[in-house]
Amino acid sequence: MPEQDPDVSLLRPYLLTSGRAQPIDHTLEIETQVVTSDRGAASRGSLTFERRDIVELCRTTMSVAEVAARLGLHIGVTRVLVADLAALGHVIVCRPAAALNQDLGMIERVIRGLEAIR
Amino acid sequence: MDSKPSAEQQARPVRQRPPTPVKIVIAGGFGVGKTTAVGAISEIQPLRTEALMTSAGAEIDRTGHVPSKTTTTVALDFGCLTIDDDVKLYLFGTPGQDRFGFMWHDIVHGALGALVIVDTRRMDDCYPAVDYFEKAGMPFVVGVNLFDGVLAHDLDDIRWALAVNDTVPVVTLDARDKLSVRDALLAVLHHTVRRVRTQQTSNAT
Repeated sequence: MPEQDPDVSLLRPYLLTSGRAQPIDHTLEIETQVVTSDRGAASRGSLTFERRDIVELCRTTMSVAEVAARLGLHIGVTRVLVADLAALGHVIVCRPAAALNQDLGMIERVIRGLEAIR
Repeated sequence: MDSKPSAEQQARPVRQRPPTPVKIVIAGGFGVGKTTAVGAISEIQPLRTEALMTSAGAEIDRTGHVPSKTTTTVALDFGCLTIDDDVKLYLFGTPGQDRFGFMWHDIVHGALGALVIVDTRRMDDCYPAVDYFEKAGMPFVVGVNLFDGVLAHDLDDIRWALAVNDTVPVVTLDARDKLSVRDALLAVLHHTVRRVRTQQTSNAT
């Protein structure tokens, strides 16, 4: 038996989210863009720990995945925290439009963008 | 064709408008060059985050006991590219291990397509990714990574070994080379365009 029960350390990330593994909006994509709102910036002082860190960090727009990487959080935890903050109006999320992968105009735009890379 | 910005978009200052994110998934076995490929073309130094993946314990299942769930932490490497003022392309390098369907859905959902990188010395490693994308109906391209610039096998042999459909493009790439990675990503997008056109045609008839 290992000295430490592996289940304990696996549980720990979710203590940050009061045990919830599913974000309020559980469909929040990991590439969703997150930016701090005026309300979020103003109420920074009333937020604690990771929530405050996210509001500080997202003064510059970035993806949920970037938030997770920069704050050293698990991606699942980050989705929960960002969804909470968005529900409270502290951050604004910009999600990819539905079915972008069926949108030929968008795909061709990405093709042109890649072709411009030299 | 470009869509014209709406009046609402024009009224808002450009800098405050978050870009529309799109993504391409880069999959394959461990050490196959996913992170190298992301790093070769990403504008930012590839970032790493961790995800908890839950999978059913297949071994225990077979003995007739209640299937236990195992949870594993896996690394997810990613980078991004600015396509234009409004569009940002994310590249997610996903772990290719088997039995992680739960998290794969989260990563893959909504992707424009996928590039499955193959190391011909360890072809088995990419089977889970190929299986997953076939089942998920996600357009994907097989990219054979030329580690030393030499293709050890004929591409048709590789296609046969992977048992992929004839419509799935098999290309070569050097994961260290920016333009080579760009071309592999373009192959993915052109494949997606063909798939969408085919679907639209069959829906129309």
